[in-house]
Amino acid sequence: MNRHKIPVIWDIDTRALVRHIRNVGAPRGIVSTDGTPADQLVFEAKQLPSMAGQELAGRVTCPKPYGWGKGSVEVAISPWSEQMGESDAKPESSKHRVLAFDYGIKQNILRLLVDHNCDVWVVPAQTSAQEVLDLKPDGVFLSNGPGDPEPIGYAIETIRKLIGQVPIFGICLGHQLCGLALGGKTFKLKFGHHGSNHPVKNLLTERVEITAQNHGFCVDPDSLPSRDVEITHINLNDHTNEGMRHKKVPLLSVQYHPEASPGPHDSHYLFTQFADMMQEWRQPGSSRR
Amino acid sequence: MPKRKDIKKILIIGSGPIIIGQACEFDYSGAQACKALSAEGYEVVLVNSNPATIMTDPELAKRTYIEPLTREYLEEIIAKEKPHALLPTVGGQTALNLAVELSESGVLEKYKVEMIGASLRAIKVAEDRLWFKDACRKIGLEVPASALVNNAKDALRLCDQLGFPLVIRPSFTLGGTGGSIAYNKEEFAEAISAALDLSPVHEALVEESVLGWKEFELEVMRDFRDNFVVICSIENFDPMGVHTGDSITVAPVQTLTDKEYQRMRDAAAAIIREVGVETGGSNVQFAINPENGRMVTIEMNPRVSRSSALASKATGFPIAKIAARLAVGMSLDEIPNDITEKTPACFEPTIDYVVVKIPKWQFEKFPGADSTLGTQMKSVGEVMAIGRTFKEALQKGIRSLEPSTPWRAPAETPDSLLREKLATPRPDRIYWLLTAMERGLHAEEICELTKIDPWFIHQIEELTAMYRRAAGVTVETASKDLLREVKRHGASDEQLAQIWRTTPASVRLQRARYGVAPVFKRVDTCAAEFESFTPYLYSTYEDEDESDAQQRPKIIILGSGPNRIGQGIEFDYCCCHASYALHEDGFETIMVNCNPETVSTDYDTSDRLYFEPLTLEDVLAIVEREKPQGVIVQFGGQTPLNLALELKRNGVPIIGTAPESIDLAEDRRRFGRLLEELKIPQPRNATALIPEEAARVAGEIGLPVLVRPSYVLGGRAMVIAYDVNTVQDYVAQAALMGPARPVLIDQFLEEATEVDVDALADGTDVIIGGIMEHIEEAGVHSGDSSCVLPPVSLTPAVLDTIREYTRRLALALKVVGLMNVQYAIQRDTVYVLEVNPRASRTVPYVSKATGMPLAKVAARLMAGKKLESMHLPVVRNNGVAEIAVREFYSVKSPVFPFNKFRGVDTILGPEMRSTGEVMGISTSYGQAFAKAQLAAGQRLPRKGTVFLSVNDRDKKHVGALGKELASLGFRLLATRGTAAALEASGIQAEAVFKVNEGRPNIVDLVKTGKIDLIINTPLGRESFYDEKSIRRAAIRYNLPCITTLAAANAAARGIRALHEQGIEVAALQDLHKGQAAPSGAPSSGASGD
Repeated sequence: MNRHKIPVIWDIDTRALVRHIRNVGAPRGIVSTDGTPADQLVFEAKQLPSMAGQELAGRVTCPKPYGWGKGSVEVAISPWSEQMGESDAKPESSKHRVLAFDYGIKQNILRLLVDHNCDVWVVPAQTSAQEVLDLKPDGVFLSNGPGDPEPIGYAIETIRKLIGQVPIFGICLGHQLCGLALGGKTFKLKFGHHGSNHPVKNLLTERVEITAQNHGFCVDPDSLPSRDVEITHINLNDHTNEGMRHKKVPLLSVQYHPEASPGPHDSHYLFTQFADMMQEWRQPGSSRR
Repeated sequence: MPKRKDIKKILIIGSGPIIIGQACEFDYSGAQACKALSAEGYEVVLVNSNPATIMTDPELAKRTYIEPLTREYLEEIIAKEKPHALLPTVGGQTALNLAVELSESGVLEKYKVEMIGASLRAIKVAEDRLWFKDACRKIGLEVPASALVNNAKDALRLCDQLGFPLVIRPSFTLGGTGGSIAYNKEEFAEAISAALDLSPVHEALVEESVLGWKEFELEVMRDFRDNFVVICSIENFDPMGVHTGDSITVAPVQTLTDKEYQRMRDAAAAIIREVGVETGGSNVQFAINPENGRMVTIEMNPRVSRSSALASKATGFPIAKIAARLAVGMSLDEIPNDITEKTPACFEPTIDYVVVKIPKWQFEKFPGADSTLGTQMKSVGEVMAIGRTFKEALQKGIRSLEPSTPWRAPAETPDSLLREKLATPRPDRIYWLLTAMERGLHAEEICELTKIDPWFIHQIEELTAMYRRAAGVTVETASKDLLREVKRHGASDEQLAQIWRTTPASVRLQRARYGVAPVFKRVDTCAAEFESFTPYLYSTYEDEDESDAQQRPKIIILGSGPNRIGQGIEFDYCCCHASYALHEDGFETIMVNCNPETVSTDYDTSDRLYFEPLTLEDVLAIVEREKPQGVIVQFGGQTPLNLALELKRNGVPIIGTAPESIDLAEDRRRFGRLLEELKIPQPRNATALIPEEAARVAGEIGLPVLVRPSYVLGGRAMVIAYDVNTVQDYVAQAALMGPARPVLIDQFLEEATEVDVDALADGTDVIIGGIMEHIEEAGVHSGDSSCVLPPVSLTPAVLDTIREYTRRLALALKVVGLMNVQYAIQRDTVYVLEVNPRASRTVPYVSKATGMPLAKVAARLMAGKKLESMHLPVVRNNGVAEIAVREFYSVKSPVFPFNKFRGVDTILGPEMRSTGEVMGISTSYGQAFAKAQLAAGQRLPRKGTVFLSVNDRDKKHVGALGKELASLGFRLLATRGTAAALEASGIQAEAVFKVNEGRPNIVDLVKTGKIDLIINTPLGRESFYDEKSIRRAAIRYNLPCITTLAAANAAARGIRALHEQGIEVAALQDLHKGQAAPSGAPSSGASGD
């Protein structure tokens, strides 16, 4: 850890901490190594703005677009059947061109997109709908990211314009932004979902996936227009929304992290669904435009 | 989908007697299944031959059959009960094998019984090593290269192809019985013939060795909707080559990256799907080559297992309970998580602590057995410990094993021996690891020698470093920080006292001064993410205490620790019953135990569970936290009793019989005086500390004498001495072994009948719970002897004497609760051999035989109730109250682990060696005995050839036996002397050679299958090569071999009963019909007192 300059918190009573957060909700916090007295740190922490209402994605997004070509070293779905890493086998022309919005994107998402036969371009959060459509992508990916989705008005606006114009797949913050773009509302959970063992039920198949989660905000399913939107996934621990799809246009999104590493591989099928959605969209005679 | 409505009655098969490789973890899982299915509204029909289990309590099923687990008896029960379904996955390999047999023989089809939980195909694919390998290859998983053989010639040809070392595994055996590793052709030839013999299908797998690879297990579940979850990941500290039951194991996995772990998880999911286990739990084992990361699949069990019991305890996720619900069509997301209540069972538990399991071995009971650990399991029990770090859990685990003294390597051990000790896995390897570290051996070298993962070695290195730091100070100069840090590393006060050359009490005092005390954390399946409603606790040294102790009237019950010979499931049964009864009476019950296999450590057995070592330090910490009204020490066997006096000295309120009375009963001299006062005879006896004294007193008493250490349980290290030299040697040995406690020397009563009595007392009244007559004569340890209730050969006068003595003893010792007395009856004189004012091994058996739950009554007496107010159904004999006995016989028979310890003599003696017991019930004594024998795996022949060889003492009586056997149609063979004795009584017997008399001799006849029953009584103390080899051959060829004349007579009666009665089965609920509500009677009767 020292060699790699990775800060580590250790030797604390983690259960005491979790129980505290469970009772009072996620508080603001400060990590300090310089010996500042505790009461001073508490005072400083209290001065920190709350997560709610802050636009954080704009601070962590990439400054300019870049291409991504690396797949996962071993395609994680079934490492023992190496032929699964089929992306290289396909001719260049059959690849899906995906634009991935970076609200704080995780690299393993990009790797899995590559594994699923995608040619990926990562673009800054502020990229406009027109800029996207001008590039004629086969699909748009909306990434995860930190904090409250509501203040990211520009992203919501962009997504609203893209819905129906191009297949869309969102994860985590991307899911929440979709929810807002579709006219829904989001709210802050008391202490969020964090961990790699959350059971999520796929309402379409009735099967349960064990998922990795890391989010503090949530889409209110009742706020979504039921005419257009179908709830596809729920969390079995607290029955909050975990996924949706659009009934008429190609859009699917999930609140949890199907790509998570560390994390189980139960939900990798979503990447396949995204790829299939783009494939269908590209077919002559499809509902595209 | 809701549960199935088309089935109503479900048959559950238990796992039978406790044996190595199949112990009380199946009582735990079977009991859970019974409870879960009953709660869902199904009628459960249970079959199990083991009376010491909670699952055979009549309340747990609608119909309970304590019958032999054989196809014939199962068919009879199925014909009688007509169940709709059979759940074969909660009774270990026994149940699974039996289910396969029932299915393949057409019984299930005939009676339209559906197998649920696992299909025949899934069982066969998982169990048949070749099919399994094919299945794995089909889904792209690697397996070790191998081939199946059914004869030695093909096997030898294979060696050349695969190269050494090779692993040999017989097909379809329990706990890896007969499995071995061969390093050369000679070893291989021997191993393969043994393996083929042991396999019921005469087949064995010869396999590429993955010796030294890292070993992992995943406990997984799947429901009919194809939901799949991993409940627990387990890593073996000992690498491949040591049976997982004999390995120290750790949960969760410690040395895999998430990528490696997820790859394993995906593989497990693919396997359970390919094998076709549609619902329930399975265990999948993997090995990883540390050189290159290559992962191979080793095996899969399509049922709950020892590991799943461990996983359930390690995570708080009750696998068997959930598996039973899945089997009737429920899905994982429909079943709530008991611990959080609000979240579903469809999730993967989070473990924010480390669990270490350490096996318990007892090679000291089997002189001559090879203590090297290999692919065949040899441990008799295990402990589990929970800590916040691996180091803490390991240390807690080691002290949970109750080593008599902390282990230290002899100072003069040369490094070469040390290296050998590291390279060869044996029970004490963990101690040698610590020694090696202390000696400064390099971690790399230790890894190289042991093949243990460097991470674990590094942890042990840190432990040693910690101790080195501690050794730099004294108890007075140790700072608060240092004290806290060593405690966080899991050090016990006793270890620290050793380092600091002081007493554990002064370490405790110093801790108290600094406020360094443990806190209690919860096992909650979710790392505190959700509130937990089940107080399942473990201690650690951190900041926040989560015990949330209540202000209710509460009682702590101390459990019995790891299973061992002489202290096993029977005591766990008693602890559970105490908890049930006191809970019914409104107390908060608190269980303390460290055995992961048991029902007592199920989080819903007691109101609160502390999974902690049973040492003074750990128990005191719990008592301080809980402040109970009472602590019960008399149900957990010797483990809690050993703590009783110290606990009391520390102000702990022990309820029931006072520790002083227990101490008095153990103190030969004071107890002898008491017997004199009570005018009760006992064998002449004395104690001795030094050999000279021993020789003198042995001379005064008269030989033969019984020699043993004080404070015994299970007759540990007890011998019958026929000469003075043996006595002297013994005392000299004993002085070396342990703390200075005197050796006991007793007159040995030859040709006496032994009797066990369990009684209840409240200080004023005494009720006899049951009188059991031993079938073997005195000299065989009571735990190894078959016995029958009610007695069959005692005169009314003797019985009355026994009753009267029992009453006198209980009152004199002021017993409150249970008491067990062992008597020997020699020529109508009743001698007291031993009194134990505590629950005994026979309590569950007596309770099942009489329908009276003695342990429950006893617990209530300890909590202050009176016998008089309970209105128990008693009869009075000679003025002494006794639980009414029904008109049937219950025979208890022991089960031995000799097939696991090749080369060990099987002769019975005062050293207890049985691991478990079974019960046979019938209206005739003979049939009950035959059933018990059958249940214990001794199939009495109905016809054929009997071989007799008896000692001179027995020759006088062998005539009657011979006559009976001849009249049953048996052909009699006998050694010359025995044949002559038979002839003297007018019985014809053919003489055969002893081993050293010529060929073909008796062993040849056994090997060629010419013998059906062996009756061989030993010649006193001498054990000749001849006898040993006969008995060994009997074990090897699975022939019934009877070693006492009394048992032989009982067997003859049994065979007659088999001829005359045929197969009969009866449910406990019918046998005890009319008994005023067997379980509830005491509680309802006693309320308000």
